[in-house]
Amino acid sequence: MVFHPYKLKKMQLELITEERTAQLRLVHHDGNQITIMVDDVLYTLDVVKVGKGNYSILLDGESYNLELVEGANSREYTINTFHKTFKVEVIDAETRYRRKKGSVNVGSDKTVRSPMPGKVIRILVSKGEQVVKGQTVIIVSAMKMESEFKATVDGVVTGIQVSEGDVVDTQQVLVVIE
Amino acid sequence: MIQKVLVANRGEIAVRIMRSCREMGISTVAVFSEVDRTAMHVRYANEAYCIGQAPSVESYLNIEKILEVAKKSGSDAIHPGYGFLSENAHFAERCQEEGIAFIGPSPYAIRTMGDKITARRTMIAAGIPVVPGTVDKITSEKEALSVIEEIGLPVMIKASAGGGGKGMRLVKEKSEILSALRAARSEAASAFGDDSVFIEKYIESPHHIEYQILADKQGHTVHLFERECSVQRRHQKVVEETPSPLMTPQKRIEMGLHAVAAAKAVDYFGAGTIEFIMDDNLNYYFLEMNTRLQVEHPITERVVGIDLVKAQIDIANEKPLPFSQEDLFQHGHAIECRIYAEDTDQNFMPNPGVIRHITEPYGTGIRCDGYVYEGYEIPIYYDSMITKLIVWGYNRQDAIDRMKRALYEYKITGVKTSIRFLKRIMDTEDFRSGHYNTHFIGNNKEFLFQKGECFGKCEDIALIATYLEYMSKAGRADNAEKSGSETSDTWRNSGRKYGISPL
Repeated sequence: MVFHPYKLKKMQLELITEERTAQLRLVHHDGNQITIMVDDVLYTLDVVKVGKGNYSILLDGESYNLELVEGANSREYTINTFHKTFKVEVIDAETRYRRKKGSVNVGSDKTVRSPMPGKVIRILVSKGEQVVKGQTVIIVSAMKMESEFKATVDGVVTGIQVSEGDVVDTQQVLVVIE
Repeated sequence: MIQKVLVANRGEIAVRIMRSCREMGISTVAVFSEVDRTAMHVRYANEAYCIGQAPSVESYLNIEKILEVAKKSGSDAIHPGYGFLSENAHFAERCQEEGIAFIGPSPYAIRTMGDKITARRTMIAAGIPVVPGTVDKITSEKEALSVIEEIGLPVMIKASAGGGGKGMRLVKEKSEILSALRAARSEAASAFGDDSVFIEKYIESPHHIEYQILADKQGHTVHLFERECSVQRRHQKVVEETPSPLMTPQKRIEMGLHAVAAAKAVDYFGAGTIEFIMDDNLNYYFLEMNTRLQVEHPITERVVGIDLVKAQIDIANEKPLPFSQEDLFQHGHAIECRIYAEDTDQNFMPNPGVIRHITEPYGTGIRCDGYVYEGYEIPIYYDSMITKLIVWGYNRQDAIDRMKRALYEYKITGVKTSIRFLKRIMDTEDFRSGHYNTHFIGNNKEFLFQKGECFGKCEDIALIATYLEYMSKAGRADNAEKSGSETSDTWRNSGRKYGISPL
């Protein structure tokens, strides 16, 4: 599949990695040849999309292969290079608005989530119970291994969203602590 | 003669067994649990039958259901693979009763080797070295001293009722014996209400070395040399190689004789593995016998040139081994890396999910024994090993270089895998020099778990790719473009639809 840059609008985007926030702006494109500003650095590259989420990029003759995997929403990506995995979030108007309102990340510290799909083996707390940070609240089994998930804050259990024996998905909320 | 084999397993090993069957003109029957309808072994087999729900006890461990399918499908043999029912003596017996060949050893051999104490006694009687120590409880200091005198320092004093490291003391110096003994006993008394202990030789820097055995029903037993399996995490093997970099030619012959004797001691037939623990001074002790095919069997196949599954089937067909010990040689060097769906940075936490993209390595000296494909969802119920990468090289250095190249080419997205971690292992000085033992991962933590290095402008390039992907997606949405934009996947999609193996 050949990447069609003619579809691009010359537009600025803000992208966030775990380490920094960067401004990207497309300056020029001609076939596969792309000129783009990343903060104050100007890059001229040869970019071809060679498969679903698969990019081959040549920069001054050096060859880079990247794979992009779209995350939970269309603004989050995981980018695999051979040596490193990056998590990048695109900040568009909607995200910026939500950030301003402070509605992003609210509650994320107070919920216990499963980082992987699995099956709930045991729930060690009940609603209304006082828990301390670091206390194991739930055990989830995946691929023959049991993992204990702990409270991230001191507080009271206000909600248990699953039952023992339930199959849960990645990032599903298991227990809420207030 | 066996015409149709039911494979009582799933995952890569089921596919691997069926491949050999296909080469031998033997028809294959898959069994599967409700969540495995889309699994590769179901698609690869000539016939496939659902045997129950996802949890193994309701499907892959359901003996009677599997036998029912075997009879219904007219299978004349069952291959158990590894894990599940492979070391279940009762299952082997039930196969016998139903007149179905069990492709494996006798129930007697499985039972004897399956019980640690019986196995230890049997090995001592056969003259095989076992880890020196006491089997009976020790209750007096005098008794303890004489035992330690006999087996030599260092020793480990362990509470008889023990567990969780309580009542355990390592003794390296003679002067420490009494105080360690008292400490262990008092700790054991308060923790378990029983102050009796037992004493075992402590193997410093242990190496895990195992021997592949093949034996026919006519009484011929050979070994196919050793495998070094000391790279382990959570007592599970991660990398295996053969020959072992630790081994000397003389030791190889000596251990081989012991391995053959160990198998003969239980009248073994079929393929099996004798596991030894070896110290830096090449003293070795019998650990256990695995009465089945091992995960890491391909490295032996590659170096010795024998298909172990075919050999197992031939033995089950009462054929004598077509070679003797003198005919067997190790040619070159082979390494296997087990690729797990796991997060190596989060204490190797399993990471099941949907495989988004997979590119396997090709080229000289490469073998991939896997079972996942693009679009396949790895279930949460079974083992996290998704594929094995086996390479062969003219010598060890060549094999390591090739493994690094193959790991570079191996790309799996959608789930986290151990591929990068394995590449780090290949770069670790202790591994490259061949000086490693079962403490390898712990000893090399800093190097193995360092944050991924980013060469050149790779972060900026990752950002650029994200920018372009996001913008082109947005553009596509605007144009309401036809779905033809992903035509390059058509072949794969039809492959998936029509069951063409992308492996």
